Amino acid sequence: MIFSSISFLYYFLPIVLTIYFLMPKNMKNSVLLVSSLVFYAWGEPRYVFLMIFSIAMFYLCGIAIGKSATLKMKKFWLVVSVVISLSLLAIFKYADFFIDNFNTATGMSIPLLRLALPVGISFYTFQCLSYTIDVYRGTTQVQKNPISLGAYVSLFPQLIAGPIVRYEDIAYELNNRTHSWENVSFGLRRFIIGISKKIILADNFALLIKLFRNSAEPSVVFYWVYAIAFTLNIYFDFSGYSDMAVGLGKIFGFNFLENFDYPYMSKSIGEFWRRWHKSLGSWFRDYVYIPLGGNRVSKCRWIFNTSIVWILTGLWHGASWNFVIWGLLYAIFLIIEKELPVIQKTPVLFRRGYTLLIVCIGFVIFNATDISQAVSDLQGIFGMADLPFVTTETLYYLRSYAVLFIIGTIGSTSLLSNAISRMKQNSKTQKLVYILEPITLVFLLLTCTAYLVDGSYSPFLYFRF
Amino acid sequence: MNNRIIRSLGTAIVITVWVVLVILVWLAPDQDISISERRKLASQPEFSTQTVFSGKYMAEFEDYVLDQFPLRDSFRRLKALMHYHLLQQADNNEIYIADGYASDLDYPLNETSVRYALKRFNYIYETYLSGNNDNVFVSVVPDKNYYLAEEHGYPAIDYTLLFSMVQEGTPWAEYIDISDLLSLEDYYYSDTHWRQEKILDVAQRICDVFNVNSFSNSELTQKLIDRPFYGVYYGQAALPLDSESMYIMENEILSNCSVYSHDTKNTTSIYDMNKLNGFDLYDVYLSGAASVLTINNPNGQDGRELIVFRDSFGSSIVPLLLRDYQTVTVVDIRYISSDKLGDIIEFTNQDVLFLYSTMMINSSSVLK
Repeated sequence: MIFSSISFLYYFLPIVLTIYFLMPKNMKNSVLLVSSLVFYAWGEPRYVFLMIFSIAMFYLCGIAIGKSATLKMKKFWLVVSVVISLSLLAIFKYADFFIDNFNTATGMSIPLLRLALPVGISFYTFQCLSYTIDVYRGTTQVQKNPISLGAYVSLFPQLIAGPIVRYEDIAYELNNRTHSWENVSFGLRRFIIGISKKIILADNFALLIKLFRNSAEPSVVFYWVYAIAFTLNIYFDFSGYSDMAVGLGKIFGFNFLENFDYPYMSKSIGEFWRRWHKSLGSWFRDYVYIPLGGNRVSKCRWIFNTSIVWILTGLWHGASWNFVIWGLLYAIFLIIEKELPVIQKTPVLFRRGYTLLIVCIGFVIFNATDISQAVSDLQGIFGMADLPFVTTETLYYLRSYAVLFIIGTIGSTSLLSNAISRMKQNSKTQKLVYILEPITLVFLLLTCTAYLVDGSYSPFLYFRF
Repeated sequence: MNNRIIRSLGTAIVITVWVVLVILVWLAPDQDISISERRKLASQPEFSTQTVFSGKYMAEFEDYVLDQFPLRDSFRRLKALMHYHLLQQADNNEIYIADGYASDLDYPLNETSVRYALKRFNYIYETYLSGNNDNVFVSVVPDKNYYLAEEHGYPAIDYTLLFSMVQEGTPWAEYIDISDLLSLEDYYYSDTHWRQEKILDVAQRICDVFNVNSFSNSELTQKLIDRPFYGVYYGQAALPLDSESMYIMENEILSNCSVYSHDTKNTTSIYDMNKLNGFDLYDVYLSGAASVLTINNPNGQDGRELIVFRDSFGSSIVPLLLRDYQTVTVVDIRYISSDKLGDIIEFTNQDVLFLYSTMMINSSSVLK
């Protein structure tokens, strides 16, 4: 099930909220667990058993780590949880990638498994790993209640597209959270803003991308329009989902960490990754980069560590070489930024422009179906594909999407948010904001419903990861 | 009122709107059809272990709730208005409006589709007409975009290429160019089709090439259909388009004609007034979609016959062609396989016309 659907908005969510708030405190996690499994089973009826298996396996490994008397045994159970969960991830997500490459390298023809990817497997696997690793490290307590652990792993607000919520971040709230009208108010606002970003902005940019792919008259300008459209599409799609997750979490009494912080305002690639998909970045930092030695090592080793982390980051997004190249692209620019501090002394405008350009080019590689399409798209962008500079069709879509690009560009910066904050701080305009806010939210809710009813169904981009 | 109360009140308003919608969704009775979209609406899917575990139930449930959403047309209109006016998008669901005319972008030119259509035409010629029929003509009806799109900055297919492909792809037929006789005013505002009362000159040119007489203006009476006409784009665009007047061209010769449908085995008249109670008023012409129709004209010349291979544009022009023909056979190969035509039609030396719109040729996969 997806958030941006009539079945979620008008059937699933009202039923779950009603039951959840009617139930006594000690039953709320059970409601969350059952409803989360139903939520998952709605889209993946077969793979819900895989999810239940993962919950059981991590629960038992957590208990075993907690009960182990020696470090060796603790390590053993940690390795069991890591090996089993990563094996499942490897089988469902990477098996065909490895087989395909093996076949290419050896000339063999081992048949591909062609397994459907369980939705959100990368997210919940990483969440589960953070649990057993932290229990092993002793930074968090073992969860002895299987319902509570099950509710954490399957928690539907962030189950299939993040943010990657670490167990230690919500361990306390799993059993001791509070509910309030303020939380509901905040959560509702974030949820409606998130779903609006997804439906009104991201899905419309997705439509433009589809039109570009079907274009009969591609042009250099159209390639740039596509690159910018996808850059905005993926931001509003993913940050919209994160907003919805944070909002729903708040309604249910959880405080999920923010996943985005206006990444397109970054002045360097390093800053971009501190603002984009923050939960993934911090996961790799804490569970891969630092254990590898981080930056307190020789330069060669640091370059190696950085490359490993970014290759893994690329592969986390998908089993394809273009994701590896996308990851490596960031590794290269992070190394360049570190080695050439002069970049940080250039004018802000230049740094913002350079960062956006790299991010945009990166997303072109990211969104390609394979390496050859990535190369062809880059050729189109840089005018090496023997295409006209602009065509009537390009101009038409530029005109048609101009307002959306303006809204998208402003919406991806903190301009609007800062303006509203300033108005809230000013006693003269404060009331106006509080009056306009619900009117805007109702308008957005009705508009999103209208878009859904008109059939603009589109799954979230990050479901495939 | 302090800010805390205002904020709480605001949240309560948003929740109230959502709850009201939830109640409406749960309690509103299911509808069978959507008149504006001219289609049946999805009904409650079957719930069983098999449908649930295959995912079929969930997929169909989503279709069902979308179709049965209360105030569906109003919500679709809200989306269209938001899309078209607030976001200033040039089209909604690929329907745009220029000069008051709604039109489908129908872009780009699908050359594969054109070749497929030509393949079907060639198959018919070689199977049934070659050696029998010498008088074969082909004509292409330009869709509205031909007169509308480029002028208003909308992308348009390469019509010159399409026309030349059709001409070159049918060397056994003579091409009748009718594009110079038509203009935007000859089409409905909210529909794909041309207006029957505006295409007498087109009918005359076609009759001229077959060397038969067409109806003159004075021979026909223009009768207003007593119902407002909302074309196909009215539902698709979901924008507030006005209703239009629809006319039929009548006279005694046409009144005396009978139309036999090989699908229903029923005989009706040229203008099927029963269709005025249906979804699409345009079906009044020759009863709408049908695979093979045989029109008998008791006032036609002995032995003069015409076969028209056509799409829906043919429905309104065929009555204007039949003045001198004793029999006109109207064939729509969207609804019957070309292989089976020999079972129904005896191909002798009839006049033959292939009359297809650019829209059909550009999306011809439905031709059998």
